[in-house]
Amino acid sequence: MNKAPWVFLGVLFTLSLSWWGMVYGPASQLAGQSADKGDGTAVLPRVGLAKQGEQVYRENGCYYCHTRTATGGEFGYELRLSQLGGDREITDEVLGKKVTAENTRLINLAFEFKYVVAAKKALDDASKALTDAKEKVQELKDAVVVAKENLSDKTASFKKVKADVTENITAQDKKDTILFEAYGLSGVEIKDKALMIELGMGEQIIDEHRKIANEAIIKLTDGKAQWSDIEDMVRGLKTRAGAQFKLQPVVIDWPDVQNGVALRQSVTRDFMHDTYAMPGVMRLGPNLANAGGTPALADSNQFYVHLYQPRLINEESAMPPYRYLFRKVKLNAGESVPDNALKHADLEEDYAIIPTEKAEALFEFLKSLRTDALPEAPIVENQKPADDQ
Amino acid sequence: MSESRDNIASEAAPEEINASCRWPVMFLFFSAALWLVKAAIIGVMGSAKLHVPEFLSDISFLTYGHLQANAWVAFLFGFGGNAGLGLTLWMLSRLRGAPLARPGFVIAGTVLWNVGVTAALVGITLGDQNGVAGLELPVYAGRVLLIGQAFIAFSAILTYFSRRHKQLYPSTWYLIGALVALPWIVGTAHWLLAAAPVRGAAQIPVGHWATTSLLQVWLGCLGLAAVLYFTPKIIGRELFSRQWAAFGFWMLLLLGGWVNLNSGSPLPVWQIKLSQFANGLFIFVVIAVGWNLRQTARGVPLLGSENLTLKFMGFALGAWVVSGLFTFCNVFPEWNAILQFTYANTALRHLFAWGFFAMAMLGGIYYVAPRLLGADLDWPCGRTVRWVYRLIAVGVIIITLAGVGMAWDHGQALQQIGVDAMTLQTKAIKPMRIAFLGEILFTVSSFIFLGSLLCLLSRNCCGELSPMALWRQIREAKMEGKTEGGAQ
Repeated sequence: MNKAPWVFLGVLFTLSLSWWGMVYGPASQLAGQSADKGDGTAVLPRVGLAKQGEQVYRENGCYYCHTRTATGGEFGYELRLSQLGGDREITDEVLGKKVTAENTRLINLAFEFKYVVAAKKALDDASKALTDAKEKVQELKDAVVVAKENLSDKTASFKKVKADVTENITAQDKKDTILFEAYGLSGVEIKDKALMIELGMGEQIIDEHRKIANEAIIKLTDGKAQWSDIEDMVRGLKTRAGAQFKLQPVVIDWPDVQNGVALRQSVTRDFMHDTYAMPGVMRLGPNLANAGGTPALADSNQFYVHLYQPRLINEESAMPPYRYLFRKVKLNAGESVPDNALKHADLEEDYAIIPTEKAEALFEFLKSLRTDALPEAPIVENQKPADDQ
Repeated sequence: MSESRDNIASEAAPEEINASCRWPVMFLFFSAALWLVKAAIIGVMGSAKLHVPEFLSDISFLTYGHLQANAWVAFLFGFGGNAGLGLTLWMLSRLRGAPLARPGFVIAGTVLWNVGVTAALVGITLGDQNGVAGLELPVYAGRVLLIGQAFIAFSAILTYFSRRHKQLYPSTWYLIGALVALPWIVGTAHWLLAAAPVRGAAQIPVGHWATTSLLQVWLGCLGLAAVLYFTPKIIGRELFSRQWAAFGFWMLLLLGGWVNLNSGSPLPVWQIKLSQFANGLFIFVVIAVGWNLRQTARGVPLLGSENLTLKFMGFALGAWVVSGLFTFCNVFPEWNAILQFTYANTALRHLFAWGFFAMAMLGGIYYVAPRLLGADLDWPCGRTVRWVYRLIAVGVIIITLAGVGMAWDHGQALQQIGVDAMTLQTKAIKPMRIAFLGEILFTVSSFIFLGSLLCLLSRNCCGELSPMALWRQIREAKMEGKTEGGAQ
């Protein structure tokens, strides 16, 4: 420590460690980040006015009072089974004893749908083979008879299970709901009208029932389960049972989501196309991570009036007015107010307040700020009140 | 033979060193005082907007964001750069026992540096800032600053190598660290955030590294160099331990760029975790430096001392330790989660900038400036300089207590469900409104300091030809004339 060159080299080396970790590492990791969302869509860059608006936001130093960062929080998983696989035994083994009695009955009915459809397909195949056959006709006739008996058995079994499931239900619409939920969960498609009537589905599936079938899910967990609790079940459903499901994060304690600030946590890809990333310093004003998704920006006039004179919208607002982003034009007698002029009862009469291009650009930029779903940051649902569940 | 190998030239007399530093270092000090006033005024103007939102609201370049950015750049590069480089040159000369080499380069560098800072302020005012809060140098300003610093560093390097010395005092390590860190940090920020910006998301960690390194490493090294130099010197003791000093120095360099990353930053988790780990380790820096200086000054009440430089250094050390403890607290994500989007970060930056750095620099200037101008000189109106110390100390305490205490309330409200926007706004502004008092005290103190420096210069700059000496002579001549007239 008595030779300056050594101290100099030591300083260079020591500083390079934090430089490596905080500058080079992230710059190289994030430089290769893909815009692809994995579903055929991509995180798109801002263009036009919204792009210009980013510069207006920077020029005015808006990032000192507004953040664009939604923080993370505590959440659990709601495991939503949307379609059953083909093997009942494996499905039962994977699901274990975690399924409620009510859902078990629904699963039973869904599998009955599968059995009936399988039996119907076997009958159709046998009938077709008989029609096409030129030899071994008797043998094929016997097969058709067996297939018919099998279908009959399966249909009877279906009816029995259906009766069991709807035993204590009197309202027809509730019975229909259960029937079509099971139909949707089974993943099968029945087109034979006779069979549909036989199964109690009606001659034709009406839109309401189709909607029930399409949206049918079974909640295997209550939204408080952690990954470690459900990891085995998720892997089993995917790799062994062949079921279709969705892992929905649900809020346990997540203030930014519960307060409507954002729909999910902010991540690096939210800033990937920014010319200058401005995550923000303080929340003196609202967090703008999902500004484009809030009702405040649904009405452009409301936004412009707020920007022009915040106290016209909220008397206690501490936001300074940005009047220099507007043109104030004196109206001649009889002259009508331009369409794009601000509309508010407390604005000066005989004048039209017109947003400049910078104000319009800022509006477009704010509208472009959204926390839409990304694979690495799915939208987190709020816990529904108990009576909604 | 042995002598030629060691080549230890005789040590220059302090008067000779002071004379060599006189004009370049005084130029830096005077520039620093001017920038301190500007930084404080701009800061107060910005804070005034929180009380009266309509204040200057029709002027596009005087938004709160512009004023905040300008105030910090004026402080960091205007005051911090000038004062830090001035003390660096003087301390290096004294520690090496050699006169300042090539003072002309320092003057040229200072001119360039000040042009760079001015360009930065003009650029920010025109909306050319790069959007990285805390380091908003426009691209052209960064280049001029780097060239200016190179000129000054050239003189520092020549001074260093003009005489060999058997042992490097720990302050020298810190000064070398600061001289290396500045161009590296500003250069990185210049290339990766302004000249050829990296991809949006990558700017967040780069910006954080640059701003944190400037604060913790650059300002930290400069301030601690001064504290480590002046404290033992004034109390007339040896530094307690070189080993503790070395440990603190390397740990500061190692951890300075990592710390204080917000737990909610939209960054990969590994970075946030590493930053938290660095925050935890930062306690060792605090212990190493704090314990070393505490043992050095054992039994000497720094804050209660009659020596004003010692008071400045004592407060600076205390503020640095408190700031370091707050950094350590960020090891707990729950703590950081509450304070991250509140005024607390700004308040803690004030604690570091004004409480630690400005106090250390002003204490150093208070000690050095009279010596540069002549032997056995003291500050004219010496008591007024004490008010600089008092006002900054009170201001720092107000801002820290209000900033952290009330910001905690705001942070907790942000963590609750269903708190309405107006309540949040009220809680957010409350600490800033109280902190406004502190900023007013900073402004008054910076004016007093500038006035004192002007007074010192005007009294002593040119011997019998100084404005004060001339004024005194005129006054005495008038008095004599009156007396003679009366006698006649």
